[in-house]
Amino acid sequence: MEGIGHVPQIQLWGQPGEALGTVNYVTVIMTWVVMAIIIIASVLIVRRLKEVPGRVQVVVELFARMFDGLVKDALDSNARGYLPLIGTLFIFLILSNWIGVIPGLEEPTRDINTPLSLGIMGFFVWHLSGVRAKGFFGYLKGFFEPIFFMMPLNVVGEVAKVISISFRLFGNIMGGAIIIIVVSNLLFYLVVPVLLNGFFGIFVGSVQAFVFTMLYLTYTSVAVRSD
Amino acid sequence: MGFGAIGAGIGEGYAAGQTALGISRQPRVSGQLVKTMLIGQAITETSGIFALVIAILMISTGVRTGGNAVLDIAAVLGAGIAVGVCGFGVAIGDGYCAGRACDGVARRPSIGGQITGTMLVGQAVTETPVVFALVVAFILLYSGFSGGLEKAAALLGAGIAMGFGGFGSGIGGGLPGGAASDSVSRREELRSKIIGTMLIGQAVTQTSAIFALVVAFLLTFASGEGNSIVRIAAFLGAGIAMGMGAIGPGLGTGVPAAAACTSLRVNPRVGPVTTRVMLLGQAVAQSTAIYSLIIALLMVYVV
Repeated sequence: MEGIGHVPQIQLWGQPGEALGTVNYVTVIMTWVVMAIIIIASVLIVRRLKEVPGRVQVVVELFARMFDGLVKDALDSNARGYLPLIGTLFIFLILSNWIGVIPGLEEPTRDINTPLSLGIMGFFVWHLSGVRAKGFFGYLKGFFEPIFFMMPLNVVGEVAKVISISFRLFGNIMGGAIIIIVVSNLLFYLVVPVLLNGFFGIFVGSVQAFVFTMLYLTYTSVAVRSD
Repeated sequence: MGFGAIGAGIGEGYAAGQTALGISRQPRVSGQLVKTMLIGQAITETSGIFALVIAILMISTGVRTGGNAVLDIAAVLGAGIAVGVCGFGVAIGDGYCAGRACDGVARRPSIGGQITGTMLVGQAVTETPVVFALVVAFILLYSGFSGGLEKAAALLGAGIAMGFGGFGSGIGGGLPGGAASDSVSRREELRSKIIGTMLIGQAVTQTSAIFALVVAFLLTFASGEGNSIVRIAAFLGAGIAMGMGAIGPGLGTGVPAAAACTSLRVNPRVGPVTTRVMLLGQAVAQSTAIYSLIIALLMVYVV
């Protein structure tokens, strides 16, 4: 159980132990692996697109249509522009959460830096699309709703969104990983860890990837729509 | 452990009660009802099992040798409070979810699979606070701490923050889960929309538990070498502020989320408007948790 709380890292710059001076190389490598899988799969699938779809293409089309519908429901005008962002986010997150099921590989989302950077990216997406949709003053006016003295609360709430969306994903994935390590140790790696991997890796991983994506979409729609 | 078991008991009792009611209404499908009940109870019991695991680990590791006895006691006590109290709330929420699902299966046995699926997704998300609590408990039990009485107060405060902070979110997450299971049993064609609304509602419900997690992390890694009574009080106070402050918003944000799931069934055409109204109401309900977070951060960093 010594693995708990141990972070593999190499020093990039600065003094040892100093914040921002080190990088967790496992996370970086695993993120590259996930990215490579997505890129290779996309290239292979796109090359073989046919008029009469094969088995893989049917699944891909179902997936694309489902997300197209979700994005259109949330932001009906200029919905198409957001589909690549939302869809790619979901594919990246679900693959990242699932990859920990393979022994020896680690979820990139187990490191707070991955969800947090996605959350910070979301912060800019939400606010910039809010400015684009409502104009700068219309966007500023949103902070003074429903009543003007709610302004400080709204500002804190925007930062809280980033914290909550990223820590939710991180906490669930890391919590599942720790539970699997501890229970496997207590049970001497008998049958149960496989089931736990199925529950925490596949099931909770998919649910949390979907929750993250849906919240991303909902926050975008709150920023963009004015009614 | 004790609190976790009470919660699991209440939750499972509610589920079993609803199942018995359902069987009396539809005796022909009692087999299917019992199946749904058992699945639901298995998930409900998870928080009790987490409490059990922590209790076993506490007994088996005992007090670490060579360490500071006060620190060890604070860490173990904090771990127990975190998982016990948090598991209490989560188990009630999960049990409510299972109960409403059994009720729904009794009403519409032909779509039992869909209702059970909705219940499982709802319960998995409701479970999140207790998973957070477990993480905090493991950090408290397994990382070697050093420092004075201040550090001990911080560790105990971390346990209190996470335990009570997850309590409200646990119950609050169960409310939309139950309402969604019920709505699916009445309008199964809206299933995907209902689950989407439920997930968004539950996610906001959990935000106060996430604040509690952040405060608990900050407290466990706060440095406390001395024995200053002011800092001891500040660390304990930060934990209590965050923990108690999160109970209300956790519970309160669950109510609009449950209402949104129900109103989606009644009038699906205004779904997006319902979601936005729900989010606005939840944001206001959550403001007290944000105040608690600010106060807790001030106590950790400024005092």
